[in-house]
Amino acid sequence: MIDVKQLNKSFGENHVLKDLNEHIEKGEKVVIVGPSGSGKSTFLRCLNLMEKPTSGHIVFEGKDITEAKSKEVNQIRQKMGMVFQHFNLFPHLTIMDNITLAPVKLKLMTKAEADVRAMELLKRVGLEDKAQAYPAQLSGGQKQRIAIIRSLAMNPEVMLFDEPTSALDPEMVGEVLDLMRQLAEEGMTMIVVTHEMGFAREVASRVMFMADGCVLEQNTPEEFFKNPQNERLKDFLSKIL
Amino acid sequence: MGDWFMSVWKSFEQAFLESDRYIAYLEGFKTTLILSFFAVLLGVAIGLIMAIIKYTANHMEKNIVISVLNWIANIYIAIIRGTPAYVQLLIIYFIIFAKMDTSPIVAGIVCFGINSSAYVAEIIRAGIEAVDAGQMEAGRSLGLGWTQTMISIIMPQAIKNILPALGNEFIVLIKETAIVGTIAVRDVTKAAQNVGAITYNYLPPLLITAGMYLVVVIILTKLLNVFERRLAQSDRR
Repeated sequence: MIDVKQLNKSFGENHVLKDLNEHIEKGEKVVIVGPSGSGKSTFLRCLNLMEKPTSGHIVFEGKDITEAKSKEVNQIRQKMGMVFQHFNLFPHLTIMDNITLAPVKLKLMTKAEADVRAMELLKRVGLEDKAQAYPAQLSGGQKQRIAIIRSLAMNPEVMLFDEPTSALDPEMVGEVLDLMRQLAEEGMTMIVVTHEMGFAREVASRVMFMADGCVLEQNTPEEFFKNPQNERLKDFLSKIL
Repeated sequence: MGDWFMSVWKSFEQAFLESDRYIAYLEGFKTTLILSFFAVLLGVAIGLIMAIIKYTANHMEKNIVISVLNWIANIYIAIIRGTPAYVQLLIIYFIIFAKMDTSPIVAGIVCFGINSSAYVAEIIRAGIEAVDAGQMEAGRSLGLGWTQTMISIIMPQAIKNILPALGNEFIVLIKETAIVGTIAVRDVTKAAQNVGAITYNYLPPLLITAGMYLVVVIILTKLLNVFERRLAQSDRR
């Protein structure tokens, strides 16, 4: 589904991603872990061109998106949902409008259709009573769940999660992870950058360890956590587990 | 004490009612309002264009046309903000418009509009920049284009940052038009000066004029508060 070939990304002198080659199948749940500054968020953000790669290719469903025109990029992004660390809900719009804005503006649905779809999604996460509330009135966990269903309203093929629970109070992490777990069970292709090792162990089909802009090791979660080979990974796991 | 009040009343009566002088104030007041209104419109129009050029230059990929426009905008803003409005007024009327048969009111509108635009440009640019960068990313990640995100997501939030400062700029502009008498526009300040020259008593007409500016500014402040409260709807917790 996604093919990454010789991906490089530099910010000025800082070489953040070094010659990455990856292949992600439909239905996979890839969890990326690693120390901060290892390039995992940058890698994720390159996949939907939030960051423009310095060199290399990203092929999504047979199309090289690094060579796509900006209109095509917009269309490709509709199929790649993204969830941010800081939610990034639109504070000037009600929850309902947050969810329906993109499908309606992009003429994928009529306002009425989008409203119905939004209500379904809100019911699914048990927040239908918040439809007319504004983001400022919600807790962090609620905001992140809304952010997730806002992406789902676009019916994406793949969901990218950029540290979705890092900005949450501990008691709210569970509700967000539960929703992500449900998505995984439904077969959504997911790429998740996170520090939640429990989630990685339970949900991931593959765990990837990144450090210094390289993927140093990847494996099934059982092997990854039980039998780490790379010294950096052993050191990393000993610090966090 | 009674005598003193009597003489104060007399001097104000002389400055305002005698020989229907209030008409001069009202005419002048009308001129001040017309001048300010069109200057504000011109200022916002030019300012908005400058702000978009500067924002685009800072946040989009390098492009030669945008770079040149940005360079021009920076010089324009530096010159306009770096010189006194009074000097600009004299230059525009006596030098640039000298050969043309332009009415001094039009010259005044152009001068104050240009002067204001430099400040408005910075106000609007700063208001847009103050919106969290994550908002643009969220819009783009949903597949919205740059312009679409700008219109539906960034600008509605930026207006909340822009409006208070912009209101302040309007207030400054209205008061600044008081120097327009220099190029023989009969605004309300000029009217006061004329009345003072006739009655040999400057204090009452100047106080009357000051009161008129004050009333406009207070009304404007109230209006802005109403707008701000409306825009703050989504801040409720």
